[in-house]
Amino acid sequence: MPPRPDHEGAAPTPVRILVVDDHPIWRDAAARSLDEAGYQIVGTAGNGAQAVRIAVATRPDVVLLDLNLPDMSGAEVTRRLLTELAGVRVLMLSASGERQDVLDAVTAGASGYLLKSAEVAELVDAVRSTAAGHAVFTPSLAGLVLGEYRRLAQSGQEPAPKSPAELPTLTERETEILRLVATGLTYPQIAARLTLSPRTVQNHVQNTLSKLQLHNKAQLVRYALEKGVDLGY
Amino acid sequence: MWRVVALFRVITLIYAAFLIVNEHSHYAHPAGGFIAIAVMALWTVVTVVAYSRPEGRKPWLIVTDVAVASALVMSTRWIDTVTRISHGSPTIPSTWACSAVLACAVAGGPWIGLTGAGVVSVADLVERQAFLPQSTFNSIVLLLIAGGVGGYVVRLGLQAEAAVDRAARSEAALAERERIARGIHDSVLQVLALVSRRGRELGGPAAELGILAAEQEAALRSLVSSPSTEPDADTGLVDVRGLIEPLANGRISVACPATAVYLPPAAARALGGAASAAVDNVLRHAGESARGWVLVEDEGQAVRVSIRDDGKGFDSDRLATAAATGRLGVSHSIVGRMREVGGTAVVTSTPGQGTEVELRAPEA
Repeated sequence: MPPRPDHEGAAPTPVRILVVDDHPIWRDAAARSLDEAGYQIVGTAGNGAQAVRIAVATRPDVVLLDLNLPDMSGAEVTRRLLTELAGVRVLMLSASGERQDVLDAVTAGASGYLLKSAEVAELVDAVRSTAAGHAVFTPSLAGLVLGEYRRLAQSGQEPAPKSPAELPTLTERETEILRLVATGLTYPQIAARLTLSPRTVQNHVQNTLSKLQLHNKAQLVRYALEKGVDLGY
Repeated sequence: MWRVVALFRVITLIYAAFLIVNEHSHYAHPAGGFIAIAVMALWTVVTVVAYSRPEGRKPWLIVTDVAVASALVMSTRWIDTVTRISHGSPTIPSTWACSAVLACAVAGGPWIGLTGAGVVSVADLVERQAFLPQSTFNSIVLLLIAGGVGGYVVRLGLQAEAAVDRAARSEAALAERERIARGIHDSVLQVLALVSRRGRELGGPAAELGILAAEQEAALRSLVSSPSTEPDADTGLVDVRGLIEPLANGRISVACPATAVYLPPAAARALGGAASAAVDNVLRHAGESARGWVLVEDEGQAVRVSIRDDGKGFDSDRLATAAATGRLGVSHSIVGRMREVGGTAVVTSTPGQGTEVELRAPEA
């Protein structure tokens, strides 16, 4: 079960959502559940290219994105959505949970990830918290993020040591909190255990993701500059 | 390969023409020398164009090629003087004649190459009329080498190319199968997830179906995404994730890094066994509704596996009592296993607040 986001008051205008999935049954089921929960579904799409086109036209607040689309990877769709539509938030959903794909999408800028087997209540909560700008961390995503920081730290030592400034690192507190998320504790439970406010816990979790995304973007830009590619930034 | 033959033919044509132009004043029929250049040039154009396309490489054309080369070799008898021939002067087409032999070798392999070389050599002997100076002998040997070795090398090259082709084809087929399998798994997982969700929403007998679907969904997902449990072929190390990931089910969630977490086989087995025993305890003793979470971390020097549940927990003192009274469950299956490979296991629990097990196995 993902950490429950703190429930905020109903927004004056409904949150606008685009549902992207190549399986019509699932797409319709998700759209219906979210519609019943009071969200406004501005469109649905069955592949990445269509998703980007519809997103540009309808300007949703949240894109609910299937990780396995027929035409491009979840990471690629996320990158394009964020380039075309500043401020849009992407919540990844996947049935199989391929670890590397999930990690790629999240470092490309997705704000969170849920398995499709999540209950409707979890999905609705996750969308609400994504719309509010919070990261949606499942235990398995926390495990992936912890692993990625370790991998970066090790890759920094091996062939040519990189300056520590180039590599994102976790503070002790962040590591502690991520480990608790990964072993299934909710934000309020973590807050109680560490005597912090749930908001602080939320911010720490958010930071761990932001640092990875920033690092990923910096790497992309540097790679592009080396190769002389125009990124359109 | 055919381009090499064409190039060889053009270069040898230039060489032969150069020799003829240089020597024509000594010939019995100087005009014959120029006719020979014209014939060679024409035939070079015809063969280079014809051989450049697979449908142009007809057996009769290759036979004609050898015949033209042999005829030109024999024409030396008529164009040049007998004295010069018996003193070992080069034949009219000189090395150009060899390109027909190469064509045979490339087209038909070593035996056809040798046959072509044989025909041109016989023409050479006829032209010399049994005078066998050193240079003729050399050129015959070179012709046979070109025909035989050239053909053999071409065969090998073609076989290697075919083998590479076959490997690429089967690799592509495998990748395609995997791609299709991924799509199918994804679809099945979607439907299972949907059934379990709708089932739980509907309640009653549908909820039971939902629970069944959820169990199968978790099992298939871990089956699809679990890495191999076989030791790595190069290092002999085992990816611990392959042993821990399958512990996931409807009540147990497993969190791992995206990259492999390697341990020597013995340590990996101990860690996998201890984790499995800990998860078993969660399922059997923590309560019907208890859920468990497993986290795998690579700490560089050691691999850490943490198992936590939100079940009823127990008084930690009970473990010591249990061990003392001979009920060795936890201490043997978890603590003992880890100690054997130089690792550690710490079990903490508070009644009403679940249990936490922390396993650590050293990487070396």
